[in-house]
Amino acid sequence: MPGPIRGQLLKGTTTLLVLTVLRDGELYGYEIALRIRERSGGAFAPSEGALYPALHALEANGALQASWRESDRGPRRRYYKITKTGLGMLEAHAEEWATFSMGMARAVGGATK
Amino acid sequence: MIFATVYAIALLCGTIALVIGVVALMRRTERRLGPGPGGPSASTTPGAGAAIDPIAAYLDRMSGELALPAADVAEVRAELADHLADSIASLEAEGLDRDSATREALGRLGPPAELGRQIHAAHQSTRRLLAGAGGGVFAAGGGFVLGYIAGGFMVSAVIIGLAAVSGVLMLLGLHLPNLLSDTRGLGGNAMITVLATAIAAYAATRYAIRTSASVSHRTPRTIAVVWAVIGGLGFGLWALFGLHGYQTWYIVAAELLIPMAAVAGAFWRVERGLPQAGRAVLAAGLVAFIVLPLGLFAVAGGASVTVSSPGEATSFQMSDLHLDTVAPMAPTKWLPEQDVISGDFAVDYAADLTVVTASRFSAEPATLPIQPLLANWRDIRFEAWHAMSIDLPGPGGIDTHYTSPFAVQPATLHGDSLAASFPFQKYRDAGSWWVVLTAVGPDGRRYRLDIGGGDYTSFSGTAWEWLTAPQ
Repeated sequence: MPGPIRGQLLKGTTTLLVLTVLRDGELYGYEIALRIRERSGGAFAPSEGALYPALHALEANGALQASWRESDRGPRRRYYKITKTGLGMLEAHAEEWATFSMGMARAVGGATK
Repeated sequence: MIFATVYAIALLCGTIALVIGVVALMRRTERRLGPGPGGPSASTTPGAGAAIDPIAAYLDRMSGELALPAADVAEVRAELADHLADSIASLEAEGLDRDSATREALGRLGPPAELGRQIHAAHQSTRRLLAGAGGGVFAAGGGFVLGYIAGGFMVSAVIIGLAAVSGVLMLLGLHLPNLLSDTRGLGGNAMITVLATAIAAYAATRYAIRTSASVSHRTPRTIAVVWAVIGGLGFGLWALFGLHGYQTWYIVAAELLIPMAAVAGAFWRVERGLPQAGRAVLAAGLVAFIVLPLGLFAVAGGASVTVSSPGEATSFQMSDLHLDTVAPMAPTKWLPEQDVISGDFAVDYAADLTVVTASRFSAEPATLPIQPLLANWRDIRFEAWHAMSIDLPGPGGIDTHYTSPFAVQPATLHGDSLAASFPFQKYRDAGSWWVVLTAVGPDGRRYRLDIGGGDYTSFSGTAWEWLTAPQ
């Protein structure tokens, strides 16, 4: 049952993943989804349906700034850029995730042996 | 005359150009405040041309859940269409045919209604709501100023138009009644101010909604009720308690239109933007600013009116004043003829009071102490009666339609004079008045001690004060 389990784990982490890949530069929606998949070696594949609500929510809260411009390969795209607010949010989320993941690793460490 | 006519035409054209210019300016500012994507549209949807386009159907279903401004909806549609195009191309590169790739790409986005609801919820942040509220307040201020300027010129243009119609009718021998004759121009001035304010209230609410919707990413309809309540209450309170000046029934009625104009601005075709106009019209509006004062000067110069003052009235009989309506003159046995009591009045503008005085004069004349003369009299008082308009030909005097005074004040002794204060400026429609000094004689009957005097006083205060004022 890897699919549903992975889905549950990913729930709530989309924000962290999006902010992380945008820290390196501006990207548009489809590129963000690809970049997350690439960076995680395919381990994380956020639902495309969850990606856009997350992007728009981050933009509405000032974490991202969006602008339309020509892409390198094709028509105009809506590019997202992380803001200072977004960087602060990323730092906070990353810290929470580190605490959470270390705790989980310690807790379930014995079970994976 | 030709000079005045040319300028009058220029005045009208300038006014129209100015109004369009102001509207264009508002529209341009509105566009600047808006989030416009700068080009995306639904035309970017791939696969256009198919009999039933599943992508277009998906986007339509998703858009149905977006209660957002049209520009935002267009952005979301364009962004998702781009995403689907990329996704389908990628899937086709992996070997899927077009239809299968499309189905798979749409399936990855999930149910369209659910996606639409989530994106809609994502747009409704508190941050944007607060920014929208702040932007709305700011825009309301700007809209009010622009609306007031435009309203002032619009009302002026209407007045000039009416004057032109009136002039033509006069040439044809038809004379319109002068509805403002008893207000000495105050009614006209107040009406211009109030109507301009109503137009400003309309523009302020409308502009606040358009800006607030744009900044908060909500549809104008969804926030119109809030702004209608704010505008209606705010302008309603201002109209009742804030506008201080000349008041009469039609001014108060016009003032009550101000909050209604604000509410109308919130609901009447609020989804539609203001008409667009180009730079040429803006330039024409600027020119109008130069032309308008010159035109007003020319028109005003050519429309001087000669008004005869009451002091220039022809000779009249004492009976023309109808003073017996008040009381009979005091018998000479109790008020000797050589002892004349004469009144005077002055307006205390700071206190909105008219101070009346009565003094005793000898034959020289010289002011004498009035106290000895009052030994025979009691209950001495000043009575204020409605009077014939002193702007009309004639001496003035008591309006015989009335059988009692509309205000009475006891006369108090101040030095060698009797005095009292009347708040005529706070009496509704006091208009022309005549004040007479009366007292009760030894026989127990009330008599007049002087012939009195009168003037015209206009109501000065707020609409609320007028509504609650004594008649």
